[in-house]
Amino acid sequence: MEPFILFELAGTTYGVRSEFVQQIEMIDDVASVPNAHPAVEGVVLVRGQVIPALNLRTRFGFDKVERNLRSRLVVINNGSRVVGLVVDTAREFIKIAPESIEPPPEALTGLSGKYLEGIASINERMILVLNLDAVLDLDYEVEAALETT
Amino acid sequence: MDKSTPDNSGEFFDQFLDDYYAECDEHLVLIRRALVTLEDEVDTATIDRAVLDNLFRSFHTLKGISGMVGLGAAEQLAHHLESYLRELREGSVVLNASGFESLAAGVSLLENVINARRNDQAIPSIGDMAARLQTATTSAPADTENNAAITRWQIEFTPTADLAARGVNVNSVRARLQEIGELKQAKPIVKGAGEIAFQFILSTNAGQTTLKSFEVDGLVFQAAEEDATAQKIRQPVATLAPSTVVRVDLDRLDELMRIIGELVISRTRLEDQLTELKRSTPPAVWRPLQETSFGIARQLRDLRESVMRVRMVPIGEVFERMTFVVRDLARENGKKILVQLSGGETEIDKFLVERMMEPLLHLVRNAVSHGIETVAEREAQGKQTEGLLSLSAMTAGERIVIKIADDGRGIDRDRVLERASARGLDTGNTQLDDAGLLDLISTPGLSTRDEADRASGRGVGMDVVKNAIEELGGHIWLATKLGEGTTFTIELPLTLAIAEALIVSVDGQRFAVPQSAVREVLEVESTSTNVLENNEIISYRGKVLPLLRLARVFEMNHELGDKFHVLVTGEESNAVGLAVDRIIGQREIVVRAIKDPLAQSKGIAGATELGDQRVVLILDISALRQLAVKSRH
Repeated sequence: MEPFILFELAGTTYGVRSEFVQQIEMIDDVASVPNAHPAVEGVVLVRGQVIPALNLRTRFGFDKVERNLRSRLVVINNGSRVVGLVVDTAREFIKIAPESIEPPPEALTGLSGKYLEGIASINERMILVLNLDAVLDLDYEVEAALETT
Repeated sequence: MDKSTPDNSGEFFDQFLDDYYAECDEHLVLIRRALVTLEDEVDTATIDRAVLDNLFRSFHTLKGISGMVGLGAAEQLAHHLESYLRELREGSVVLNASGFESLAAGVSLLENVINARRNDQAIPSIGDMAARLQTATTSAPADTENNAAITRWQIEFTPTADLAARGVNVNSVRARLQEIGELKQAKPIVKGAGEIAFQFILSTNAGQTTLKSFEVDGLVFQAAEEDATAQKIRQPVATLAPSTVVRVDLDRLDELMRIIGELVISRTRLEDQLTELKRSTPPAVWRPLQETSFGIARQLRDLRESVMRVRMVPIGEVFERMTFVVRDLARENGKKILVQLSGGETEIDKFLVERMMEPLLHLVRNAVSHGIETVAEREAQGKQTEGLLSLSAMTAGERIVIKIADDGRGIDRDRVLERASARGLDTGNTQLDDAGLLDLISTPGLSTRDEADRASGRGVGMDVVKNAIEELGGHIWLATKLGEGTTFTIELPLTLAIAEALIVSVDGQRFAVPQSAVREVLEVESTSTNVLENNEIISYRGKVLPLLRLARVFEMNHELGDKFHVLVTGEESNAVGLAVDRIIGQREIVVRAIKDPLAQSKGIAGATELGDQRVVLILDISALRQLAVKSRH
């Protein structure tokens, strides 16, 4: 069984392996970075380090919403990079058996489908497991878009 | 590696190897330094014994530690070098030019062998070099009267009435000296009590006995110390005392710097709270606190400076490396080059040194390959046959200034322009000033390197040099004159971590501007700006100052008010005014790097925090100016 952190985005539940999650924080103040990628809200200070805050709604092509008290910054640390993901909310921690994660169906369309590693079904609940490398690589979007055309 | 080695010992061995490479680097630096000194002593009988001792010791150590890590090629090579040194030390062979070449080539190979191991590449063969060193060790004959090395002597002659009576005067002495050697210098000197004497510098292979016979005629001989006409600056050979030197990982120093940075921020917070307190309490309450706060500020500054000093290394080590590159390249290209070093003791942050190595190497290689002419060309132009390459460093306030100057042919503007237009680059006007020329040769893809250089995979383009320097918060300038030479001037911050900054505000967002980039702050009314072609300008000190609106460069949807502040940046002729809403204040900031590519942006050098956990971006003034130039076209 592998531990996962779950978060919500536009009514859907996503999961990331907890080994890649450094911490989860309330979002106070984001300093916007001029001329940055539209999905980059700006930079925040986390444990003395200046890291980008990536808005996952924008990244996945959903409508942007105002931040509220439930909004969270999921700080991803994959060993080489530290990036904050701005999500609607995050408060669950579960264990998932690796065999219950299935590859995403080919038919799954929409931008967010390109960033999935697989889909886990637990007690009738569907959890989309993120491929973090694809999420953090902004060039990936271009490639993915090219593939679909 | 041996499969049966357990994991933890593998890790241990890696750690051990890291130490080995670090120690090799230290000794190779010492060796290079000693070789530079030795080069002047070729064919003389006056080799400094201490230099030989140090060299011998370094080779001996390298031999030992290479054996310990099982790097046999390095061990053997160091052994042969050590053997040759032993003979030199004992005086049984004289250091001649070919011996020195063998020594220098042996050291290069040793360095290659060690680097090959470090980079997991094939270890170069050492067979030929070992044979060459062995020959040098056994064949060069010792100093004899008939086959003596050329020695420089300083001779003093004091005329007296007695000597004059015997027909010995300054002219006869001069004639006799010219018979036995080459007279390099002759000048009268005034000794105490108005007595006149003559001093000669003689270069001769005559032995001691010949010279002794001159002494009866009132000549005093002594070995000449230094060639006063050549201006080569010799570095003293420093010995490293291992017992008092601690090697520290740069990461640990970074961590220390980070903690100090946090302390600086905490104190800023304390100062803010004190300001609050001052409003509501009488001075008797807050004054002692205020004094304590000032005390902490002072102590923090001391602490910071101490830690910074630990990070500082003399730039001389880098310069010495360059002299070797120059020597090898000059020989390959059939050029004669004198390297002048100065300010080698100037200290610079270790972090910066490492990142400056490649750019400096590139500039030095360029100067040798393309700047300085061949001996024949130089003679034809009436220049000294020996080209001059000078490397100098000095500190200017919080910055270090490095100059790389050659007296070669200079950069041919017309040729650069030709190349540029051949590649379809917009060269603008044909009257290129030095700054424009530098911009042009720094255009990616516009290389003046020849095919041979490219084939050997040498170096990086000028564009990479310029970028590397600007990434470090530095600047580079060019001054070149056809036929006379080229000078590159590089200015860098001494260290990166903490800086004085102006905090400005644009559309409610705060930005920090390094104070060192700002010459003056102006308050401007919007009615006093003019538009000339595409440029917004104001008048400043009787001249025209182009205005750069930060909001516009950053594509913020915001217009300046009736009154705004302008930061004057840049040198006289290319000064630019950076327009912001207003200046909030001046602060000491802790510079934090923005490491993730998602958050990097041109015009932003880093980020800082002012005590309220909110990030403030630090502007990169030189990048902003570039952005502005681009947006104008």
